[in-house]
Amino acid sequence: MTRDRMLTLGALAAGLLFLSPVLYSIWMSFQTANAYYTGTLDFTLRNYAVSIGDYGFARYLMNSIIVSGLVTIAGLAMATMAAFAFARWTFRGGNLLFAAVVATLMIPSHITLIPNYLTLARVGLLDTYAGLILPAISNGFAAFFLRQYIRGIPRALDEAAYMDGATPLQVLWRVIVPVARPAILSMGLFIFISEWNNYIWPLVAVSDQDLYTLQIGLARLYKLNPGEGSIDWPLVMAASTLTILPVLLGFLLVERHLVRGITMGAVK
Amino acid sequence: MTLTPDMSAGPARARRTGAARQQVLRRATPYLLVLPLLAFIATFTYLPIAMSVNLSFREWDFLSPDKPFVGFENYRLLLTSHQFWNSLQVTAVFALVSVPLRLVLALAIASYLVRETLPARVLRGALFLPAVTSTVAIGVVFSWVFATDQGLVNGLFQLLGLPKVTWMQDPQLALWVLILVNTWKQLGYDIIIYIAGLQAVPGELYDAASVDGGRRFHVFRRVTVPLVMPTTYFLLVISVIDAFQVFTIVDVMTRGGPAGATDMLVNMLYRVGFTLFDIGTGSALAVLLFILLITLAVVKARVIGRKVHYDS
Repeated sequence: MTRDRMLTLGALAAGLLFLSPVLYSIWMSFQTANAYYTGTLDFTLRNYAVSIGDYGFARYLMNSIIVSGLVTIAGLAMATMAAFAFARWTFRGGNLLFAAVVATLMIPSHITLIPNYLTLARVGLLDTYAGLILPAISNGFAAFFLRQYIRGIPRALDEAAYMDGATPLQVLWRVIVPVARPAILSMGLFIFISEWNNYIWPLVAVSDQDLYTLQIGLARLYKLNPGEGSIDWPLVMAASTLTILPVLLGFLLVERHLVRGITMGAVK
Repeated sequence: MTLTPDMSAGPARARRTGAARQQVLRRATPYLLVLPLLAFIATFTYLPIAMSVNLSFREWDFLSPDKPFVGFENYRLLLTSHQFWNSLQVTAVFALVSVPLRLVLALAIASYLVRETLPARVLRGALFLPAVTSTVAIGVVFSWVFATDQGLVNGLFQLLGLPKVTWMQDPQLALWVLILVNTWKQLGYDIIIYIAGLQAVPGELYDAASVDGGRRFHVFRRVTVPLVMPTTYFLLVISVIDAFQVFTIVDVMTRGGPAGATDMLVNMLYRVGFTLFDIGTGSALAVLLFILLITLAVVKARVIGRKVHYDS
């Protein structure tokens, strides 16, 4: 065995050890409660059937996809338009408006919790998808990041398109967006993951069980069952795995250069 | 920005009015582009700050029709309550322990994983995974890891012949468990940022240092640490803000208990605002948290700002 191969195996072992609590929880989710408590092996899919069927996790999964998906699309659209304006125009008040966007990065979000709850209650949007989505859409970080990226794109590209009679929106859509695609995609991923994992706002904004996201559903399932010793850990872990899995799969897809690296090493 | 007016329009007069309209539209373009984002930021970020300040001077239970003005009464109640000082202390301990722990561990690990080798990339991927994983799920999984009965850690203790420990029911231990779990989750993010910072350091500096006969730790202390100072500053700002806003992991694992031993400021804010519906006191607490974090940001900029820019 070569030294390189051993180092790789060592790194893999260290990584697995680091992730072992989560990996073991996934393994546990395929066991019956009885087998878990008696230390025997008895594989089953019942925990998934129960969490999806009896505890509504199919519904929570759909809610999470709807909310995170719409927040990502709307958030990206707004951030990209604003970033385009801040990168390409010098306009009166522009610097002040940009400062107002960047300052949101320093503002602790919890100061908005009670007021946003009151605002949405007043317009009757608590316990709706809109109530979950609207306060999460504006993303100062994405606007700031994309503005920096767009500034790096040669202006000659815009100007060529304007020569051909394009409107600003056409330039944005046909010139800037295709060139800035990598930055827009990584911001989209960032927004999607943060919204997927968002907990405190759905906790505040929703009490109707049909609107629970996965995070709220998982926390409630776990808390319903707080008695030490009587807790059905394999069932809880099936729900937890359902909550983790979509992001995990996405991460593995995006980190394909990691996989490519592994296969390249294998070929060498 | 130079825009080329449309030259292909028909007769002269139509062209002139068309051009005038286009002129207006051209001026308005950047404003129209930033309008949606700024409208949302104004409604859901800036307006709420003003609302919080206003509500913090009033007494309101969310239901009654009037909200009498009570001056600084809510602040006085908070600042004389045991709960507030307890939460502030717990949150401060959490921040003071977990922030240095995260940064030191992350820099040490990052300096080993900075090279673009296969093992380094595998380990980076594994370490980064918790940072993108649901905090609620991590809280649930680690509640099992540290459960008194049937938990992973106590199971291992049993194998070694050690007694069971009540990790999350012991006021002396629960906070340390939370610090450990939070560090486990956030470490990968800090490492990735540090690696980006380290990769920007020119390799010749290391070569020069090792030619000088510098030992590994010496090089690390004299070359690496000063050169990644801007990265450290960035991570410090981010992780202190993070630490003072910690909520989810606590809500899932301990709900602030036992006996308030892990009752962070945001957990208190949630309880006061959304289970007691004491909107005035909740808002006062939110305003205090806001002032605290802004002050910290300013102080850090003063103290560390000089060190960050010493080389330029």
